[in-house]
Amino acid sequence: MKDNKPKVKSISYAKWGYIFIIPFFLVYFIFTFYPQVLTFYNSFFENFRDGLTQIGPRFVGFDNYKALLTPSDSGTIDILKYFGNTIIMWIMGAVPQFVIALLLAVFFTNTRLNIKGQGIMKTVIYMPNLIMASAFSMLFYTLFSNVGPIKPLLVQTGIIDQSFDFFFTTISVRGLVATLNFLMWFGNTTILLMAGIQAIDESLFESARLDGASSTRVFFNITMPLLKPIFVYTFITSMIGGLQMFDVPSVLTNAKGTPNRTVMTVIMYLNNYLGGSNNYGMAGAISVILFIVTAILSIIVFKTIDRDKG
Amino acid sequence: MNKKNKIASIQLTLLRILVYAVIILLCFLCLFFFVMLIINASRTNNQLQRGFTLIPGGHFIYNFKNAFTDSSIQIPRGMVNSFIVAAGSAICTTYFSALTAYGIYVYNFKLKKLAYTFIIAVMMIPTQVSAVGFVQLAYKYGLNNKLWVLIVPSIAAPAVFFYMYQYLKATLPLDIVEASRIDGSSEFVTFNKIVLPIMKPAIAVQMIFSFVAAWNNYFLPALLLTSSDKKTVPIMIAQLRSADYSKFDMGKVYMFILLAILPVIVVYIFLSKSIIKGVTSGSVKG
Amino acid sequence: MKMKKFISAVLVATMVLSMMLTGCGDGGSAKKGEGEIFHIMAWNVEFKGFFETYFAEKHDDGEFYVGDAKVKWTIVPNEGGAYQDALDRALLNQENASEEERVDMFLAEADYIAKYVQSDSTMDVTKIGVTDFSNTYKYTVEAASDEKGVVKGVSFQCCPAGLVYRRSIALDVLGTDNPAEVQSKLDSWEKFNEVAALCKAKGYYMTASDGETYRTFSNNKTEAWVDADGNLVIDSAIQAWMDQSEMFRDNGYTILCDVWAEEKQPQMLDTGKTLCFFGPAWYYNFCMGNAMDTCKGDWGLCEGPQSYFWGGTWLLAATGCDNTKAVADTMNAFINNDEIVEKLVSEQSQFVNNQKINEKFASDPTYGNEFLGGQNDTALFVELAKNIKFQNTSKYDQLCNEGIQLYWREYLKGKVTKEQALENFRKYIKEKYPNVNTDK
Repeated sequence: MKDNKPKVKSISYAKWGYIFIIPFFLVYFIFTFYPQVLTFYNSFFENFRDGLTQIGPRFVGFDNYKALLTPSDSGTIDILKYFGNTIIMWIMGAVPQFVIALLLAVFFTNTRLNIKGQGIMKTVIYMPNLIMASAFSMLFYTLFSNVGPIKPLLVQTGIIDQSFDFFFTTISVRGLVATLNFLMWFGNTTILLMAGIQAIDESLFESARLDGASSTRVFFNITMPLLKPIFVYTFITSMIGGLQMFDVPSVLTNAKGTPNRTVMTVIMYLNNYLGGSNNYGMAGAISVILFIVTAILSIIVFKTIDRDKG
Repeated sequence: MNKKNKIASIQLTLLRILVYAVIILLCFLCLFFFVMLIINASRTNNQLQRGFTLIPGGHFIYNFKNAFTDSSIQIPRGMVNSFIVAAGSAICTTYFSALTAYGIYVYNFKLKKLAYTFIIAVMMIPTQVSAVGFVQLAYKYGLNNKLWVLIVPSIAAPAVFFYMYQYLKATLPLDIVEASRIDGSSEFVTFNKIVLPIMKPAIAVQMIFSFVAAWNNYFLPALLLTSSDKKTVPIMIAQLRSADYSKFDMGKVYMFILLAILPVIVVYIFLSKSIIKGVTSGSVKG
Repeated sequence: MKMKKFISAVLVATMVLSMMLTGCGDGGSAKKGEGEIFHIMAWNVEFKGFFETYFAEKHDDGEFYVGDAKVKWTIVPNEGGAYQDALDRALLNQENASEEERVDMFLAEADYIAKYVQSDSTMDVTKIGVTDFSNTYKYTVEAASDEKGVVKGVSFQCCPAGLVYRRSIALDVLGTDNPAEVQSKLDSWEKFNEVAALCKAKGYYMTASDGETYRTFSNNKTEAWVDADGNLVIDSAIQAWMDQSEMFRDNGYTILCDVWAEEKQPQMLDTGKTLCFFGPAWYYNFCMGNAMDTCKGDWGLCEGPQSYFWGGTWLLAATGCDNTKAVADTMNAFINNDEIVEKLVSEQSQFVNNQKINEKFASDPTYGNEFLGGQNDTALFVELAKNIKFQNTSKYDQLCNEGIQLYWREYLKGKVTKEQALENFRKYIKEKYPNVNTDK
């Protein structure tokens, strides 16, 4: 922080600094930090409601974590499976999201192509980002359900047969989740990447073109390296958002993660415990694991970028 | 040379056609489902069961009345609740983030650096990590089913603070603050009367985003709002999914969905330019 | 510890402050006598309709009143235990609740009534003036009584269930649409399965959902879902349903969908190709109501392969209720007020919880249900009601019943193995009820 004002003057106002930031920190500590600590604390207790009876809180050490990490009869560790589901569905949506967004950003900013009507196009592709995710998912459910309008169209054209059920097939439910996520986010990513490209000094492109570099070479040698900070920023945001995936798969599968729990995300799993029986112990343990995984993933991503730099 | 140019220009034209095709396809994808929604919201249950057509059914008002007066899913109540939460959060978030950003930017005090670093550090923590404790506290103190419990926490929004801070750094000359002090204004008056107007564009943008985010928020409200007259729109929409369907009128269901997303779309139609500008201005500078 | 205290203090201060700001105090209404608001919780609007048509008074402000108390409804759908959760939370919070929120009366179904009856959250209704159960069916009183025999509520309906068949298809497949003759061809599961094959041969479905017959089996369980030691038990009756649904799937006798699924709806309209539906009076009057427009009269009712009951709506008095008179009046009205109870039968085709009235309609040759082509359903139900036993229930029944059908359907649809389906079901129950032992 550069401060070119004489210090003497501001010192006498120091108390105002504290006064101005106190509401923020007070609220943060009461409504976010203290609950976070409680979440960790709860994960070592048995504490839930069985109908009208409160069970616990009773200290159980690491039992909740053990319960989460013990393989079930079929040999899978459930929480890992749900992390897997979440990451697979995120990737299924994020890959097309970033590829399309990059392409669109390059096209839109290419002066030679000179795409017309950019304003309206941006308006249209950004719109789904503002739509209520639960309502958008409910819309997809009604449209793709067995009595919805889409299935008969696809059956008539012979793409699927009558017995196909969109909501009982892993790939199609995951596909719908990914499609919704893609539709909701590719416009946003496009706009961010466009701004990133526009921030690159135009003269770099000019000189490359004069040197006779092809568009692909310009893209890989100039655009991509310079776009990297923003690209990484959007990528990490997308990944953290992806790990928290909840509204879309929850509404599409009625909170069940059908079929065979292959669409159950980590937050849906957390919600299974937290909603209904208020199982603070198990929900706390899941939250802690989520926190650790998010931290590890973020560190890995940051490290990879650092290494690339060096 | 001429030939080469010609080939290049043909290539360019072909590429341009391809690009337009891709973009139009994507735009179509974005709009298609909403067109279907609007058409279906105008058809009766009987018409809907006969399959999809592009012709609206002419029962828009009928479905609207049905949806609006439904006794188990009280969508007007939900919209009012959602509006209270969304507007409340938008105001709290923007005002206090601006205040905090100003406090840290303008004043020099011992903990200034620490405060700044702290806020930046906690920005990445997933909000769900605090959910368990938050829900527990809310139930413990009987604060579930109180809308303000969803509003007050938005006072502390690290990401919005960060945006405001960047904006102040770029736009606020400290001389103005100085001049205002010389005029005898108190610090609060300076902030409210002089600094806030300068920050108007940033506040407007963040207000829209936090309004939309709160309007669409489902996870935490669904855990806390259980009383039917406190439910917000997303909870009601999710409830549609689980309601005993066979008694349901699909025309009404489509109308519910439309009502849930309409307010945001209307706002968007009027403010799309500044919203899109807002998407970029925050993150890229940072 | 000090920190915790400090934080609690700040929290409370914030709370008080915001409450002052938003002005949402409790109004401080006098707690003496009858409350101003008669708050009822329910999972659908079936009873609400009857209540408003026959009992509550509509005042000029468009609201309904009982005495001087304004009626307020909270409706939360049943599915996934959402209604029970909302109810549990409301009942646990009775002491601190405001007049608006305090529950006076709530409705409960057979699947979970035990939980509330055996808790302190419900009141002895004989103490508030509901004492005459002489006309009601015994099982409805037993279901609403705790271990000591204290009665906590009443049911306004009695729910013996039968088999509803489509007359036109019965004529085509069985050569008759006479209830007695149809019954003779469907009075055991063996015969039922044979008829299913006949239906298939003519291009019909036997049932419109794999869960259609579920309640017939589950109601004849020999053990509760969760036994006295807290172990999850999959009863042989449930096993029999699973086997039947599997056989029905293999032969294409049914549609693989939930009993409440939207796919089923066309089967209830004139386009339907399904012979049998299973349910009590409320099922065809309230849930098959969609069918009434297009094929009213094309239905018949018989006992079916096995007798059973399904559902039922009990009205329970919540502890902490401050409208005891309104609650008692409502309960009495719907079991003992002849005028109202008769109208429930004649105008709403209900099978009511009043033996005297039911028998009157059963022996009335002019009475018939239009939906069933003029058949006197009350006469049949009077007989079936004699077989009802309220037994082998636990407070976990709703989600067990929902869950087993849901996860078994994944097997029927070929998505998982049998073992996986049952394992998923056990996981689901474990998540919802952590203290039920779900190990095999």
